[in-house]
Amino acid sequence: MFRPATRVSSLPSPATIAMAARARDLKSEGKPVISLALGQPDFASPEEALEGAIAEVKAGHTGYPPIPGQKSLLEAIAHKFKRDNGLDVSLSQLMVANGGKQIIFDAFMASIEEGDEVIVPSPYWVSYPLIVQMFGGHPVEVPCREEDKFRLKAEALAKAITPKTRWVVLNFPNNPTGAILEQSDLEELAEVLRKAPHVMIMSDEIYEHLTFSGKQHVSLAKIAPDLADRILTVNGVSKAYAMTGWRVGFACGPEALIKAMIKVQGNISSGICTLAQGGARAVLTGSLESVHAMRRVYEERRDRVVGFLRTIPEISCAVPDGAFYVFPGFAALMGKKSASGRVLKNDVDLAEALLEEQYLATVPGSAFGRGPHLRLSFAASDAELTEACERLKRFVSGCL
Amino acid sequence: MSLVADRMNRILPSQTIAITQKARQLKAEGKDIISLSAGEPDFDTPDFIKQAAIDAIVRGETKYTDVAGTQAVRQAAADRLNEDFGLDYRKEEICVSTGGKQVIYNAMTASLNAGDEVVIPAPAWVSYPDIVRLADGVPVIVQTRPENGFRLTAEQLRAAITERTKWFILCSPCNPTGAAYSEEQLKALTDVLLDYPDIWILTDDIYAKLIYDGRVSKTIVQVEPKLRERTVTMNGVSKAYAMTGWRIGFSAAPEAFTKQLIKLQGQSTSNPCSIAQAAACAALSGPQDCISEMVAVYQKRRDLVVSRLSGIAGLECNKPEGAFYVFVSIKNLIGKQTQKGKTLTSCEDFVTSLLEETGVAAVQGAAFLTPGYFRISYATSTELLEEACVRIKSFCESLK
Repeated sequence: MFRPATRVSSLPSPATIAMAARARDLKSEGKPVISLALGQPDFASPEEALEGAIAEVKAGHTGYPPIPGQKSLLEAIAHKFKRDNGLDVSLSQLMVANGGKQIIFDAFMASIEEGDEVIVPSPYWVSYPLIVQMFGGHPVEVPCREEDKFRLKAEALAKAITPKTRWVVLNFPNNPTGAILEQSDLEELAEVLRKAPHVMIMSDEIYEHLTFSGKQHVSLAKIAPDLADRILTVNGVSKAYAMTGWRVGFACGPEALIKAMIKVQGNISSGICTLAQGGARAVLTGSLESVHAMRRVYEERRDRVVGFLRTIPEISCAVPDGAFYVFPGFAALMGKKSASGRVLKNDVDLAEALLEEQYLATVPGSAFGRGPHLRLSFAASDAELTEACERLKRFVSGCL
Repeated sequence: MSLVADRMNRILPSQTIAITQKARQLKAEGKDIISLSAGEPDFDTPDFIKQAAIDAIVRGETKYTDVAGTQAVRQAAADRLNEDFGLDYRKEEICVSTGGKQVIYNAMTASLNAGDEVVIPAPAWVSYPDIVRLADGVPVIVQTRPENGFRLTAEQLRAAITERTKWFILCSPCNPTGAAYSEEQLKALTDVLLDYPDIWILTDDIYAKLIYDGRVSKTIVQVEPKLRERTVTMNGVSKAYAMTGWRIGFSAAPEAFTKQLIKLQGQSTSNPCSIAQAAACAALSGPQDCISEMVAVYQKRRDLVVSRLSGIAGLECNKPEGAFYVFVSIKNLIGKQTQKGKTLTSCEDFVTSLLEETGVAAVQGAAFLTPGYFRISYATSTELLEEACVRIKSFCESLK
């Protein structure tokens, strides 16, 4: 009998997939479904990206690309790290992958041994712990508290580090909470990391350009250049430039790690689509105007959604300083019944009830290691967001 | 603590990197280099496919797709397999990946447990054993013989099977030999496989369209439908449509296993580039004349190269039935000395001296697990091929 490998058969089929399928079914039945479940911008990719890609195709650049990425794209990425993050990196410290996700996969596959611990602050994007487990590592959760605006605290990190700690994952601005780390937060974390020279740091900065209220994202590698030889800074064009489908992620890090990651990638998928590289090169060498324009729209939406949620007493809601998600808490509803009589034992029940009764699709917080919360994306139109808020309010006031 | 994980040491150092770098360096120095080492078509991607990509960009198909690809491209892949091989797959049984390589990576990683064996006929593409080792498996290499046209015999297959055998990998037409299996030759293998109900089959059909002299490629499931429930049929657009840089391959496999492949891909890369998917969809479902045009050219070049090389004393080569490679024996030249006084002790020495003394870049057979040969690609212009053959001839004839 065929036995699938444990590393893959033990990967869960996430509840979110079932819920997305249910939302699709309801929609095809003609129900007025609003989805705030997706983790992608609702904007179109910038003109520059389209032109860059079309130029690449027309120039006939359709042969195998180098595994680490085209030289011209790597140069554009080096320029980006200098301009946006103040980092000086050489091309041998850079690589490109099929999305930021593959960068993470490459890095963990290249480095994690059976039994290694990887510190993942929660709430977290679920792929971090799942990839760690695939390679025999143990994810170690460090909770970030809502009252701390979901920021990682230095004491909490210090307590979680053991001799077996291989990596610490920092994902700020954070998916799903929108939390950011400011300079002082990072300086405190860097102090802790200085005392743990065996620990590598993955700083996933994919949402870096989406910060609000005048706050700015800062790279850990900029604050702590003395740690740079153990920091992998992960980024990509997906979120900032609304280019999720293109699948271009990249990273800078210590040369030895990058080299091992390139070797891994050469055995998974090789180089990435050339026209996507052309599109990415065009936006990274262009101006940040389109990014700032989108950021301003996200900020207005955040203000509207958070303002609305805060009028509902049953909901707790930290103000996200970045990304395009809010992560409200629903502790006050747990144990109650929805208007249609569904018992709300946890956030999965809540998300299901919201979908079935109000046709509002969200993601339960437990998918990110933290219930009873929901993740709502505000990468949606004003009309949809207003209607979604109304439905949420109606749902909450119908609960008994 | 070593930065990289032990599994990285299981990937053999690349055999081709030294020669590729040398060729690049000589070219940069202004030397007249003819590269016959690449594994990709020299043709540009056909215009109608490029236009489909541009149309997709303009339509804004730049968002995440399903992990396994859009419904349209999965259906197009299923339809193509039906038209070319009479196979009957539903789109739910198709997973579209970032290149054919990812299909192989997915299949091995989703299935191999430590110590599982994978039977691989050699000469073979070196990624098969590397990927197997990375997934904790054990490659079992079986050398095919030139007198059998580099085709594995039923006896050889049977002798290689043990109770740990989990997979049999077959590539037809084969990289690097160009050997293609006829229906009868495949049947001989499938008869053996019917006796071992626990063994799965991965058939790499990426070169299936590139076959000459009026032959038509056959595939395992077509020849023996009883093996459908344990076969992964791999194909893609890279070689047939000159689309290597687009990075689109696909698998057709039973739905339960396909689900595992998708689960894994959901953690490693997610969907391949959405625009490349649209282009692949056009390629697979559009007019197929572009292929026959390219095949006619490849066949002429093959005939040219084989006839020239056959006239060179010391070289021996079969006439390949498919793909775009010739695999040439230099066994009779081992031990001889070049004009510059280098003694040829191996195929590595041969390709190194050939490059240094004549500027022709080839790949040594050892890179395909079969020493004593070199591989040249004839996916290049007739003029260059003629010139390369002249240089190879004078090099071989000058050996003492």
